[in-house]
Amino acid sequence: MNNGVIIAELEKIVGDRYVSDDPEIQYLYHYDFISAEPEGKCDIAIIPGSAEEVLEIVKLANKYKIPVVPWVSGINFGSIATPRKGGLVIDLRRLNKVLEVNEDDMYAIVEGGITWADLKGYLDKHHPDLQAGITWSPPGTGVIPSCLCYGMFNLGMLGGTGAEFINGLEVVLGSGEMARIGSCSVNDYWYGRQPFPDLAGLFIGWEGTTGIVTKMAIKLWPKLPYRQDFLPITQTVEQGAPMMLKLSRVGLGIVDLLFINLGWAQSLLCLDQNEVAIDPVKLGLPDFYGVISTQAYSEKQHEAHCEAIADICKEYEMDAFPIDDQLESFPETMRGILGQMTPSTGGQAPVQFWGCWNFSRGGGGEWVGCYNTKRNIVKYYQLSREVCIKHGKVPQYYCRFMFGGHYVVTRTNINFNKNNPDEIANARQCLKEIHDSVQNLEGTVMYKPPLWAVNYYNEKMHPVTHGLIKKIKSMLDPNNIMNPGQGIEGEK
Amino acid sequence: MVEKQDMYLNGKGITKIKTVASQKQMENYRDLDYYKDVVYQCGKCGTCRTAYHEHGWERVCPSGEYGKFEAYYLGGKNLLTWGLTSGKLNWSEKMVEIFYSCSLCHACIQQCQIPEIHNYAGEWLMAMREEAVKQGKAPMPEHKQYTEHIINGNNPYFEDHEDRLNWLPDGIKLDPKAEIAYFVGCTSSYREQGIARATAEILNVLNIKFQVLKDEHCCGSPVFMTGQTDDAIKIAETNVDTFKKAGIKKIITSCAGCYRMWKEVYPKKFKLDHGIEIVHLPEFLLNGNGRELINFKNEINIKLSYHDPCHLGRHMGMYETPRELLKKIPGIELVEMDRNRENAWCCGSGGGVRSAFKELSEFAAMERLKEAKNTGAEALVSSCPFCMNQFKSNNKDSEIKVFDLSELVRKAI
Repeated sequence: MNNGVIIAELEKIVGDRYVSDDPEIQYLYHYDFISAEPEGKCDIAIIPGSAEEVLEIVKLANKYKIPVVPWVSGINFGSIATPRKGGLVIDLRRLNKVLEVNEDDMYAIVEGGITWADLKGYLDKHHPDLQAGITWSPPGTGVIPSCLCYGMFNLGMLGGTGAEFINGLEVVLGSGEMARIGSCSVNDYWYGRQPFPDLAGLFIGWEGTTGIVTKMAIKLWPKLPYRQDFLPITQTVEQGAPMMLKLSRVGLGIVDLLFINLGWAQSLLCLDQNEVAIDPVKLGLPDFYGVISTQAYSEKQHEAHCEAIADICKEYEMDAFPIDDQLESFPETMRGILGQMTPSTGGQAPVQFWGCWNFSRGGGGEWVGCYNTKRNIVKYYQLSREVCIKHGKVPQYYCRFMFGGHYVVTRTNINFNKNNPDEIANARQCLKEIHDSVQNLEGTVMYKPPLWAVNYYNEKMHPVTHGLIKKIKSMLDPNNIMNPGQGIEGEK
Repeated sequence: MVEKQDMYLNGKGITKIKTVASQKQMENYRDLDYYKDVVYQCGKCGTCRTAYHEHGWERVCPSGEYGKFEAYYLGGKNLLTWGLTSGKLNWSEKMVEIFYSCSLCHACIQQCQIPEIHNYAGEWLMAMREEAVKQGKAPMPEHKQYTEHIINGNNPYFEDHEDRLNWLPDGIKLDPKAEIAYFVGCTSSYREQGIARATAEILNVLNIKFQVLKDEHCCGSPVFMTGQTDDAIKIAETNVDTFKKAGIKKIITSCAGCYRMWKEVYPKKFKLDHGIEIVHLPEFLLNGNGRELINFKNEINIKLSYHDPCHLGRHMGMYETPRELLKKIPGIELVEMDRNRENAWCCGSGGGVRSAFKELSEFAAMERLKEAKNTGAEALVSSCPFCMNQFKSNNKDSEIKVFDLSELVRKAI
């Protein structure tokens, strides 16, 4: 690729200030600087200032057959934004505005590069009675990528994955055209994808391999006046999971329902992995920490919800202590970011949950994260835990119930020192073994898989389905410029 | 007068992280090699860009908001530091430009919740500059030019040293035997002379015996902040020698940069244990000589907003004292900008930015002026002549007045 010629043309689109092939600029787009996945190569980084500029860039990329990779923060624990085949990294972060909030239909139209901090800040100031579902991702990460990659939000029981929060899209296709998807394709309302053929699915779960989303409408929810967050604790995941299964079917205003094991709790408390036992369960330490978030419109309703939740917890021999009460029992120096996460402790999402990648104090973290049937919750943990301990890693497990309890996310995270090649290699091996182990559980499907997992799914997938994916990809991205080497197609 | 010291790191205006048990205790003011094994804890997560968990989640980093590429935010700089110290990257013109187009305001550091980054990233950002200078790659040409004049002419404004006291009006009473000195600083001596006059007049009104030394040299901040530490130490040694020989036991400053240099950098970084008490003007007025000195007689009816200078606020932990003083002036209505105290947006003049990166500097200043106007304030007030000069220079439509705290105090006593 002749950088000079390409850069000259790109400068005509965005101005010389927002294009660079300086090694120091490229370097920060080579990979995510968190995972154990190999680096890619960014040839040119570009920061467009409008959807029209994105369109022109993609047209140019088609002309020269240059790969393009859309990017907001680039960190996603699966390394799916790593530019595998070089080319342009399109950093969308100048597109960071909330364009409109429709309070009646409760949605916000946001630009492609908006971060959680931008969105939350805007809603705080201008629409304090509405809330967005927000992930546990850091404030500087992207809203739209999270939605498109089926992220888990703190209203997950209410609304499902981030993909289910999408009302409509404006997207630059790999072919160099721009489309609108949803009700916004016929009028200026973005209240839903119905009743049209649901073309949003052409861009959800595709990891930027079919188009670049420049605008999105996402559902907002009313911020109800009454809210409580409970943190029941018990000895084992095996004891706690049945309670969560019951809670996933009872309504009770539950908007978020999840549990974590001690390893994940320790990283939330910002302990140092090097100073904790690899297998604390052996030491008899409690290994189940549930989070039950409920909200209500009236005090009576809220009291009734909380009472019912407490009763269910009691059935399973647990106390539904509110998170703020539980926090009081931890010394202040050991509360980590736990107190930052929920409104009932004066916190809010987004949070800088740095224990996700820095539990080891070595800045490296990656997970095997799967969407799953609820039938696998315990077994998934048991299998992945065994592998972690074998590799000398504290197992960090997380299970979140989604969309009224219809499915779950099961995820095992490991941390490592990214400055140590041996640790990186060990981490990769550990992750692969976790994956191999849990993939034997029927119903487990990895989301945001790194490349080494993608081929597995390609081989397992229904052949007509897989063929359909390939056809759609070819149609939308005829020159295969959109994040090549990533997504469900993986390495060709 | 209460500065909430238990909230902040010792001597700083960066909040303590109280909820993390395992925090590596490190030293400040060390070289790059010392910090290289903590920098890569950074995950480039972007937390450093916005006021963490503050209402509105405002953007806080002028360098990043202007430069836009990842490299210009703290996350980018952390990982470039890792790249350099691990041999993956080398020093280059671009690397120098990235690290120098930053005022070292520490707004980014305040946001990151990883203790080693929160507590020490400021140290390695400075260490990178020092290393760049050692390697002969830095500082920027503009910095070299003014440093030469500071060394030879004792100020960065290319003015004559002999003119340093030209601001001094005839009526000011000085006492050559006083143990208190007013350290004027270069910006007040040569540019914002109103601040120097106001401060001197205030001290006269309060019957404070003080000196202004004709051999006061630049405090060295513009040299130190651009990584030229060896030169800065020599400048500091001269100043310390001059003031000690003059029998000075207490220095009053009206410039945040001078205050920080004398109080923190000289003794802690340069190891010049001068033993002189350093007080900034508002703290002297509220608690000088162990009691409140000031007594306001005149009303000033004005709605104003206070800008926290970075060298006073985040670097030295002084947020409330200037505000308390302002609130004591009859008629003043103080309104806060959204980004205040430890989340204050930098004016864009420090760290060598104003000399070498004019567009970035302007961008930062105009952003702050806009923010002040949005509060409905009639005036923007600060306690640093460099901030004030920066705002005045960029106050193009003059919709808001710009004052120094000393000027308002002078009018009110």
